[in-house]
Amino acid sequence: MSARLQSWEGLLLATLVVIFAFNTWATPQFISPGNQINLFQLSIEKIIMALVMTFVIINAEIDLSIGSMMGLSACAFGWLFQQGVDPVLAIALCLAIGAAGGAFNGWFVTRVGLPSLVVTLATLIGFRGLARVLVEDRGIGDFPAWFDALGQQGLIGPLPFALIAFAVLFVWLYVVLEHSGFGRLTYVIGSNKDVAEFAGINTGRHKMMIFTASGLVAAFAGLLFAARVGAVRGDVGNGFELDVITIVLLGGVSIFGDKGTLVGTLLAILIVLNLRNGMALLNITGHIQTGVIGILLIASVIIPRIRLGLAGKAAP
Amino acid sequence: MLQKIAPQTLRIIVLLAVLLVITLFFTSQIDGFLSGRLFNRILSSVAIMALVATGQTLVLLTRNIDLSVGSIVGFVAFATGSLISGYQEMNPLVLLFYSALLGAGFGFLNGLLVAYAKVPSIIVTLATMALYRSTLVEYSQDKSITTNNLPLWLIDLPNQVLFSLGEMELRAGFCASVAVVILVHLCMIKLRPARQLYAVGSNPEAADLAGIDAARVVLVAFVVSGVLAGLAGFMFLARFGNITVVAGLGFELKSVAAAVVGGVNIFGGSGSVIGAFLGTILVDLLESGLIRWAVVSEFWREAVLGALILAAVASDTILSRRLTKTRAARAHRATLAAREVKP
Amino acid sequence: MIAAAARPEIPGRALLLVDNAMPNPTLALRGVSKNFGMTAALSDMTLELFAGEVHAIVGENGAGKSTMIKIMTGVHQPSSGRLEIDGVAVTISGTKAARLRGVAAIYQEPMVFPDLDVAENIFISATRGLVLHRAAMRREARALIARIGMALGVDRIAAGLTLAEQQAVEIARALSQAVRVLIMDEPTASLSAHEAAELRRIARALAQSGVSVVYITHRLEEVFQVADRVSVIRDGRHISTRLVADTNPQLLIAEMVGREVGNYLTKMKSTAEDEVVLKVEGLSVEGVFEGISFDLRRGEVVAMAGLIGARRTDVALTLFGILRATSGRVTYMGKPLLLASPQGAIAAGIAYVSEDRRKLGLAMELPIRWNISLATLQRYLSRLGLIDVAAEQDMALAFRKRLNIRTPDVEMPVEMLSGGNQQKVMLAKWLNMQPDLLIVDEPTRGIDVGAKAELHDLIRAFAAAGGAVLLVWSDLPEVLAMGDRILVMREGRQMAVLDSADASQERIMALATGQQDAA
Repeated sequence: MSARLQSWEGLLLATLVVIFAFNTWATPQFISPGNQINLFQLSIEKIIMALVMTFVIINAEIDLSIGSMMGLSACAFGWLFQQGVDPVLAIALCLAIGAAGGAFNGWFVTRVGLPSLVVTLATLIGFRGLARVLVEDRGIGDFPAWFDALGQQGLIGPLPFALIAFAVLFVWLYVVLEHSGFGRLTYVIGSNKDVAEFAGINTGRHKMMIFTASGLVAAFAGLLFAARVGAVRGDVGNGFELDVITIVLLGGVSIFGDKGTLVGTLLAILIVLNLRNGMALLNITGHIQTGVIGILLIASVIIPRIRLGLAGKAAP
Repeated sequence: MLQKIAPQTLRIIVLLAVLLVITLFFTSQIDGFLSGRLFNRILSSVAIMALVATGQTLVLLTRNIDLSVGSIVGFVAFATGSLISGYQEMNPLVLLFYSALLGAGFGFLNGLLVAYAKVPSIIVTLATMALYRSTLVEYSQDKSITTNNLPLWLIDLPNQVLFSLGEMELRAGFCASVAVVILVHLCMIKLRPARQLYAVGSNPEAADLAGIDAARVVLVAFVVSGVLAGLAGFMFLARFGNITVVAGLGFELKSVAAAVVGGVNIFGGSGSVIGAFLGTILVDLLESGLIRWAVVSEFWREAVLGALILAAVASDTILSRRLTKTRAARAHRATLAAREVKP
Repeated sequence: MIAAAARPEIPGRALLLVDNAMPNPTLALRGVSKNFGMTAALSDMTLELFAGEVHAIVGENGAGKSTMIKIMTGVHQPSSGRLEIDGVAVTISGTKAARLRGVAAIYQEPMVFPDLDVAENIFISATRGLVLHRAAMRREARALIARIGMALGVDRIAAGLTLAEQQAVEIARALSQAVRVLIMDEPTASLSAHEAAELRRIARALAQSGVSVVYITHRLEEVFQVADRVSVIRDGRHISTRLVADTNPQLLIAEMVGREVGNYLTKMKSTAEDEVVLKVEGLSVEGVFEGISFDLRRGEVVAMAGLIGARRTDVALTLFGILRATSGRVTYMGKPLLLASPQGAIAAGIAYVSEDRRKLGLAMELPIRWNISLATLQRYLSRLGLIDVAAEQDMALAFRKRLNIRTPDVEMPVEMLSGGNQQKVMLAKWLNMQPDLLIVDEPTRGIDVGAKAELHDLIRAFAAAGGAVLLVWSDLPEVLAMGDRILVMREGRQMAVLDSADASQERIMALATGQQDAA
């Protein structure tokens, strides 16, 4: 959009190229198609949720409950399956739960007028609680073979269903955010909700749709997890919200709303995945990887600020 | 009548009433709910969380949030444990000081980034939460601290009974924690710099124009939060003895929950340490009660906790909105009255 | 200039008459300039403030008053020139440093801390002593409040104070820090007439006690009620400083605008037709305003006049569906109008140009084009919901031409524009809707004279093309020039509806201030 963001995306791209080149140099198997697909597969739930989180944060809100919603959906699927419900119906029910949970968040934010940080903090705990109510401390598995296959095997050639779903969703949401009226309003409401309200826009309905979509996609991610891993437990998706938010902020979306693009998010996704994968191939543990991502996140906020400062304090 | 009471006092009264109602409810539902064992268990768990929630309250008051406290608790518990395992005869006070100092260091880093680098606190502490945790993993090198490594005095420390009433015991850990909470509370009321926390949180622009060094105030809040998380880490070590790299995981959200239930405004400027303390007890009491309540599965406790936070914040918001409205109406009536009087 | 130690402060007007006995000014700006990037907010500004005087400063919006305050209170540093305190050149590095030197400012929107009580608010920036001595603090607070001469309990929580009481708290805060220069920035703008008089009394009392009071105001009558001397600034430059006794409102206005008033304020010809577009009968919002009744015809401009606090904006907001009416009836184009939401109002063809550009009018960080199409986005959407950027761009460029919006392109953030051009973007947003009724709230606040005249023409052209216009406007000469009829309000009541032929500034002012009763 603005020059600053384009240059931020340029910086992300450069970073990506460096990481990619380093990985290729350091570990020859990195570049193999198997590893490249695997790299997406391992974090597919997070990167899918990051797409919708981009909308949420541009809208100047936040949704901390997605990790829990993902867990709730996965557990609900396991529980329903155990009760003998047809898996296809179970999938539909889980998606409905996701949409309902998201709408629940949206209702408290738009109708009661509570900050989304608080509402989704509460539902982060609440949804997780419901997930545990469903499966208690068991693990549920033995899903139908076709369901597991969907998560684990290639659908078109070596490309698994989840990766195709991610690609389709990315293209669709990109068009929505950059070229549709809905996307335009996402920016405007994120910039100044009252201005939008005064221009006759139903901002409550808009936010409601975004929260509902966020819940729906989190539920979808939960199902992907169930299929990919072939079993669910009460802690599925625990802490995922933080990784997802990190990706989105790293991609240049402002925590104060109205700035950022899905291209930035995609670049951030690629950076994080390549970085983690490269470190994993070098036998660096997951926790350390998370620490490195944390440093990246802070740097992503400080660096543009320093550059802005160097450019001169023009504004009064 | 209600309008005469300061909103903060009113909140505390409501919290106490809710605590009482919940206790009575569980007592009627669960046999032996008011037992000494449960009482003691709740107090031991409150002892740790109350420290973290107190620190969280100070940070929330300044319009910030500290999501790294859980990782600080974990790191300090582990580091303190490994220090004392190496030097068993170390002076307890030095050990305690070491915990506090470590916590202060982590808090200082958070505070610098938030107050001086001007990075939003949610981003900073999201990142340092991960960072401190990964530092712990690196530092621990896949080992864990076990009770066997620790000197006896440390393990016994929190369980020393200072005072008992029948089965109900007031143990050293809880008393120490309460003492800290009261100390912080007194500081918040009595100390000049502490009042500036409220000023910065309720109106940052005005605070700046009034000549308050807002950056320093925010830095101090994070450092104190770090110190209290460090002390909580010490208590965690003493209580559990076995420390792995996941120690303190989830404390960040639980402490925010306790503070918010205790009436601390998530957008800064209002709330009290005592309120957060009562919030901690409330959250713990509900959890313990739900675990024992036969009607529902113990797994309901998190779901109920989530609902409780929502209910607390929603009612708080709606009430204060109504209060503002009543005040505006009263002010308007006063204006009208003044107009009638004037010739 | 020889640096000298502080001399004893001599109060009051006496000193001003004895030129050769002039002590050093308490605070002086000497040739101060301040540039922000390419724009010069202040140029070679020189101003002397003496102990014991109330020094009024007047100037149009954007004349550089707020930059000047920010330099005196250490928020900004001068680009060149220097500040002197008691004749000694100083650097004031921040608000805290300013307070330590005895320079403090209070603003139209008071800066209090809602969760603390009055006494704490007063002493919040005190640094002496770590421990609060509440009893002593309350005692001192009471003494300070008494010095101001107000009745205000020191234990009250600030959230419940009125604006005037909050200002009193701020003044007391400044006094507690041994203030020597107190800058009051439009302190009475949001106060009732009674409260404003009280505040002016306080300002005089402070000057009497040796404080140098800087009084910035838009109300010229206040200058003559409160000040000893008055300085006019314009375009960031110092124009004049005179004893109040040596000047008059006409002279001040002439100096403020830099030429004789009147040439852009020619009375516009009415284009009113017979068809009534809007009929308002007994409209009330309980606790806000009551009994508003008027007609508005096609091609007509009705201006609502009144002081701040007259609740004119609230009437506008009610007609736009933001506030809920509690009684009364509104007929629009011959049918009853349900006032429920802005969506409803917009669908009916009512547009509202807000007074608050920053908060309610424009999404400042977003492109000009986005802002212009905001209220009419539906028109540029394809069936799939995608935006037809080409059509949107054509429209925005057409408006740039038609409204003479000075910008190289319509893709840059609207915050890059000057105030007047931002105002035009806002107007473009609503004109593109082709409304039947255009409500415009304070459209010329904070914009330069040239842009003002352009906006007048635009609004007039809209009326001439058959639109109905409801103006909320505070500047009386502009009200008289623009309005076919003038609705005067005071504290939530309709005082009169005047034909502009019968109206005069004096008559409107008398009604608006309550010196003349409702007809």
